Amino acid sequence: MDLEILNSAVRISTPLVFAAMGGLLTYQAGMLNIALDGFMIVAAFTAVATAYFTGSLELALLAAILASMLLAALMAMFNIKFRAHIFIAGTAVTFLAYGLTALLLKGVLGQDGVFTSDRIPTFPVIHLPVIENIPIIGEIFSGHTILVYVAYVFVPIVAWTLYQTKWGLQLRVVGEAPEAAAAAGINVDWVKFQAMLLSGLFCGFAGAYLSLAYVSLFANKMTNERGLIALAAIFFARGNPYLTAMVAILFGTATALSVRLPQVTGLAPQLLQLIPYVVTVLALVLVGWRTTRARSRHSAWRFDIG
Amino acid sequence: MSFETTGSGPGMAVLNFCRPAVQPIVAVLIATIVGGLLVLALGENPIEVYGLLISGSLVGVPNLLVTLQMMTPLLFTGLAVAISFRAGLWNIGAEGQMLVGALFAGVVGYAFPMPWFLHLPLAILAGFVGGGLWSAIPALLRVYLGVNELVVCLMLNPIALLLTGFFATHVFKAPGPTNKLPDIAPSAALPTFSVYSQVNAGIFIALACCIIFAIINVRTVRGFEWKIMGLSPRFAYYGGINVPRRAIWVMILSGGIAGLAGAEQVLGQYGAFYDNFSPGYGFDGIAVAMLANFNPIGVIVAAFLFGALNGGSGVLQMMTGLSKYLVQVLQFITVLVLAAQFSWDWLILRLFPEPPPKSPDAVEPVNATPTEA
Repeated sequence: MDLEILNSAVRISTPLVFAAMGGLLTYQAGMLNIALDGFMIVAAFTAVATAYFTGSLELALLAAILASMLLAALMAMFNIKFRAHIFIAGTAVTFLAYGLTALLLKGVLGQDGVFTSDRIPTFPVIHLPVIENIPIIGEIFSGHTILVYVAYVFVPIVAWTLYQTKWGLQLRVVGEAPEAAAAAGINVDWVKFQAMLLSGLFCGFAGAYLSLAYVSLFANKMTNERGLIALAAIFFARGNPYLTAMVAILFGTATALSVRLPQVTGLAPQLLQLIPYVVTVLALVLVGWRTTRARSRHSAWRFDIG
Repeated sequence: MSFETTGSGPGMAVLNFCRPAVQPIVAVLIATIVGGLLVLALGENPIEVYGLLISGSLVGVPNLLVTLQMMTPLLFTGLAVAISFRAGLWNIGAEGQMLVGALFAGVVGYAFPMPWFLHLPLAILAGFVGGGLWSAIPALLRVYLGVNELVVCLMLNPIALLLTGFFATHVFKAPGPTNKLPDIAPSAALPTFSVYSQVNAGIFIALACCIIFAIINVRTVRGFEWKIMGLSPRFAYYGGINVPRRAIWVMILSGGIAGLAGAEQVLGQYGAFYDNFSPGYGFDGIAVAMLANFNPIGVIVAAFLFGALNGGSGVLQMMTGLSKYLVQVLQFITVLVLAAQFSWDWLILRLFPEPPPKSPDAVEPVNATPTEA
């Protein structure tokens, strides 16, 4: 296989891994956060706008994360405090974010649809000292921006936090059995709020990466349903961090191929882009089929489905 | 979903009477205020901007016709979402169902020429069938395998977009640079009335659907069963309602109506199936249904409001430095505020500090979580 495709797969998968880690924490806390796209688009816009006006990448990244976490806080407030249904709140926040960024793009940066400028700095490429010289691995893993490496470092950190720390245990208890968690003295709402905020943090990274490292521009709806693909990866891996990251990379590779392959084989790009969604639906069907078979055939209709 | 709060005092009585309308009006007001502040922050005059939105959508026959054109798909998708939400099924896949319905209608519209009195109904029916089939997937998975219908709907939206895109670019592609199906035969076209907009006979089908479902909801056993299912599926089940069966049919009906939105777009507005034609009518349908509080007649009012906003947004974009997306912001602020269940009772407690005495047989809200206490 062409090494360049693998190299671009690493880059394409990076926002997916970020977003998947963000969605994973809320998934483990028992919330299906479908607003990942909304968090990302707000972060992407804030990153570009800040970078354009200040010229500072650090400030841009910080602002992106803050904006994304602010939106996450809004979502958490409506879901946890006002008991809004999480899917309705998530849909509303996502489309609110799409609309708001498009509105601000016109209002603040004066452009319709796409904004780009040579005043926007981009993240420099890092060449890993030793790895660079290893024949195949070097070509795949070296020569990316710092955010790419940050994304992949986050995976073990998230896994460790979830399974080795007290906070991670609390988070998982809140997700598995909120009543039991409350009875054990855990502040369920606060843990959920934290999970949502962290989800915003990761999506902030994803958004900043998209608009300042992957490309150097902002376009309306530029997240291109990456949040949904990340969500698909989480569902496919049933919330396991390492597996989620791996599935996210696989889905990213499928996307990378869909860009390159049509030129080679003439295959329709849509069919490759379908893979993440179809595979996830099939996985859900398989899981559903197994659990249904495991239960009594005459058991009652299931009311509460997580 | 809101729950009736019983209370005493003239203020409470008035509030309870107006309750169905108070909630949406307050939500729209909040959205207007937040949107106004946003406009102000962007250096425009909010009153002027809202004036333009109103004059650009309601004043003058051409503008009004554009509003009706924008309103039609929202009537269908709003009704589709309202039916399923009312029955407690979260069909957020109206976008995908609409696309599949549109593809079906587009294919029948161009591939099978026949007399118009057969062709037009068949093409519309194809739209209904397409949407219904697409929504049957999450419904059957939900009922037989216990798979969360929300997640499946969510995944089926991009699948529908990509699949219809595949058909429009690789299977039935019309010659030429555009990714679209061949134009539909004139015998399948929904008649339009005016040169000013693409509003067509589809709007009457949409209004008829809304009225039919309003009657079904209040006058028939099915409508009552759907309502009970939405309020408490457990209660409905133990009360002898065949919940799984009803759930499947509600989803299929809901998807079919979303498919009609696609048929209307293809047969009335565009005259062919275009790849990626929808600016998100399926998701706007969620906004419409929420504002209508899942009431089919309310859907007409809500679709008119959002249709007018969409119609006025074009004028807004031309006349000011603002983007038409202001409308989307207003729309989804409204949804967010409406989604907050808790705030209404909280608001009433604020307005009437004496908590109303609960009668002993008062039914507890079924959706209340234990942590709330």
